Amino acid sequence: MSSQAQASPALLGVGILGAGPVTQAIHLPSLARLGNILEVRHIMDVDPAVAASVAGRVGARFSTSMEELLADTAVDIVAICSPHQFHAAQVIAACRAGKKAVLCEKPFAMNGEEAAAISAVSAETGVPIIVGAMHTFDPGWLAAEGAWGDLPEQVHTVRSSIVLPPNPRFEDFATEIVGRVSLPSSDPTDPEVIKAMLTGGVMGLAIHDLPLVRRFTPDFADVEVLHAEIVRPFGYVISLRAGNVTIELRAAMNATWEPAWEFEAIGDDAALKIDFTPSYVQAGSATARIRTAGRTTVLGPFGHNGYEGEWRKLAELAGGTGQPPSAETLIHDLEFALAIAEAAAGQVDTGRVDTGRVDAGSAASGTTEDQEVNA
Amino acid sequence: MTTQLSVYADPQAEAAGAVSAVVASLPLSFAPAGPAAPAASVPAASAPDITAVSGHAGWTERAAAAVRKGAKGIVVSGPVAEDPAALIGVAEAAGSVVVLDQPWAGNLALAGSRENVHGVIAAALEDAVLLDSVAIGVPGTDPRDLLTEQFSVLVQCGIAVQNVRMVQRNANGYTVAGVLASGAPVALQGILTSALPATASVSILTSTGRADVVLPDPAAAWPAVVRAVTKEGATALPTLYESSHRTSWSRVHSHLSSGIPATDLVQFSTVLSLVSQLTS
Repeated sequence: MSSQAQASPALLGVGILGAGPVTQAIHLPSLARLGNILEVRHIMDVDPAVAASVAGRVGARFSTSMEELLADTAVDIVAICSPHQFHAAQVIAACRAGKKAVLCEKPFAMNGEEAAAISAVSAETGVPIIVGAMHTFDPGWLAAEGAWGDLPEQVHTVRSSIVLPPNPRFEDFATEIVGRVSLPSSDPTDPEVIKAMLTGGVMGLAIHDLPLVRRFTPDFADVEVLHAEIVRPFGYVISLRAGNVTIELRAAMNATWEPAWEFEAIGDDAALKIDFTPSYVQAGSATARIRTAGRTTVLGPFGHNGYEGEWRKLAELAGGTGQPPSAETLIHDLEFALAIAEAAAGQVDTGRVDTGRVDAGSAASGTTEDQEVNA
Repeated sequence: MTTQLSVYADPQAEAAGAVSAVVASLPLSFAPAGPAAPAASVPAASAPDITAVSGHAGWTERAAAAVRKGAKGIVVSGPVAEDPAALIGVAEAAGSVVVLDQPWAGNLALAGSRENVHGVIAAALEDAVLLDSVAIGVPGTDPRDLLTEQFSVLVQCGIAVQNVRMVQRNANGYTVAGVLASGAPVALQGILTSALPATASVSILTSTGRADVVLPDPAAAWPAVVRAVTKEGATALPTLYESSHRTSWSRVHSHLSSGIPATDLVQFSTVLSLVSQLTS
C-alpha cells in the first residue's frame, strides 16, 4: 500500500503508529514545518480508512499492522501515538527493529516493570527514546533552565495550573480531523468514574508538567498526595508534598475559549513562571519569567513549540548527534506520575474524596472521565 | 461642604497604615491632630476625631481604649485574627465607627458600591466549577495572618466557603480545601516569598469561562485587576488607582458624615469563624 514517490535519502523517514487526532493535529503539522529534515513515510492505524486518509495527506505509505511499519526500511524514526496500553510493547519492538530513534507519546509505560524492560532494550540496542512530554522540549522552558541559576535549590512551592477548552477547538484550528470518536458521558458521582478521572487527569494532562515539577523536587520519591478531587466536567485539584516542597496541581477542561497553562516554581527570593501556549496549534513557545525582588527576566516567546522541539531533537538523535534523556530520567518521571495517579485515586477509596456532593444540575450534565486529554 | 476631621496615629499605626501619606492625599477630609501626646494621655475633650490603630495582636483592646477616650472613628490597619465581639459592644455604645483597613479586602475594587465587580463575581459563582485563590506574603509572615487576609477577601467578595480543611501548612505557606454551596471545590493557597508582589488572587472557573480578581499590595496605588471571560469574550473592568489604605480612610469619613454604621467588625467575625475552624 504505497502512494509515496522515491524517498529522499537526504531526509530522515518517519513512521507513526496510531493516526488519531494527536497524530493528525499535532505531529503532522509539526513535521510539515520541518520538511527540510524529516519526511513522513509510513502511517499505521488499526482503522484502514483512517490510516489511508491520514497517509494520503502526506503522501506516505499506510498499513494496519505495527510489524509492517517496522519492517519498512524507509522509516528511520518511529513515533508511537497509539493507546497507552500498547506503548511499552511498541517501543520495545521499534528498538529491536533497529530504528534510529523512537518517540513515544506519554506515558511510555503503565508500570515500573514495563519501564525497566524498555530501559534494558534501549541500552541493549542503543536506540535513543524520547517521551512526548512536550513542555520539556519547549524553547521557553529550555531558556529558563539555562537562566535560572540556583533556583531549584531554593524552591519550596510548585504550581501547575491548566485551563483548556475541549480539544476539538484547537484540533480544528490545526487540521481537518478524520475518525474523531465521541466520548460517552458517565456518572460523576460513581467512585470508579472519579478514580478514572483522577488517574486520567494525572497520566494524560498533569504528566506534561510532572517532569518539570520533578526538576524542583529532589525528594520526588517521597511524594505524598494530601488531597485530591475532581473538577467538572473534567479536571482535578491535587495537593502534594515531596520533602520540603509543596506541589499544587489544578486543571479544568471546560467549554472556555481561553486556554491558560501556567507553571510556577517559587522560592524565598526567586520565582519562575511559565505561560505555555495551547497544544495543537503552532502558536510558538512558552514565555518564561524569572523574578527576584524588583527584577523580572523575560525569556521568549520563540518561534516553535515543544512538539516541534521534540521532532528537532529526534532528528538530531537519528542523525547521530545530541544527547537523549537518560533512561533513569524517563523512568523516574514515569514513577513519579504513576505514584501520584495511584495515590490520588486512592483518596477515593479512603473516603477523602466526597463522591456525592454535587447538585442535581451538575450531575445531570455528566462527565467524561476517559476523555482524550492528550493536550 | 466636607467636614475636616482630626487624625491621630501612633508610630506603629503610622507604619502599619501609611497614615500621614493617606491623610495628605485627603486634605479636605482630614488633618493631623498635631504633635499630640500619646493617645493614652489625650483628654477626652480634646480627643482626635479619628484614631489610627495598628492591627497587630491586641488591636481590639487598643481600639476599644481609643473609643473610650472619645474617638468618633477608628481605622485599624492590618488586623490580625482576634475576636471583635467586645469592641463591637464598646463602639456601638459610644456611637463610634470602626473601619478595618485590610490590604486586599479593603481595596476599592471590592467596595460594596462596585456593582460591576460584584456582578462579575456573582455571575461566575452561579456557574462555578472551581475556585482557586492564592495569597502571597513576605517570608516571616504568620500563616494565620495571611489566611485571615485571604478569607477576608473571600468574605468581601460575597463568597461563602464551606467545609474548610487545612491540607498542609508549613513555614512557607499553607493549602486549604473547601467547597462552595454548589459543591464546586475551593482551593486556597498561601505562599511566602519575597520574589513576588504581595498580591491576592481569586479565580472562579465556570463551565464556559472564568472571573479573576487580582488585588495588589497597598504599598502603592496599584489598581486591582478584575477580568471576566464568558462565551462572548473577555472584559476587563476599569482600573482604580487607589490604595486600600486611602479607601479605608475615605470610608471612615463617609460613615461619620452619613451616620451609616460600618459593618467591618461583624464581617470580621465571619472571617474569624473560618480561621478558627482551621487553626483552633
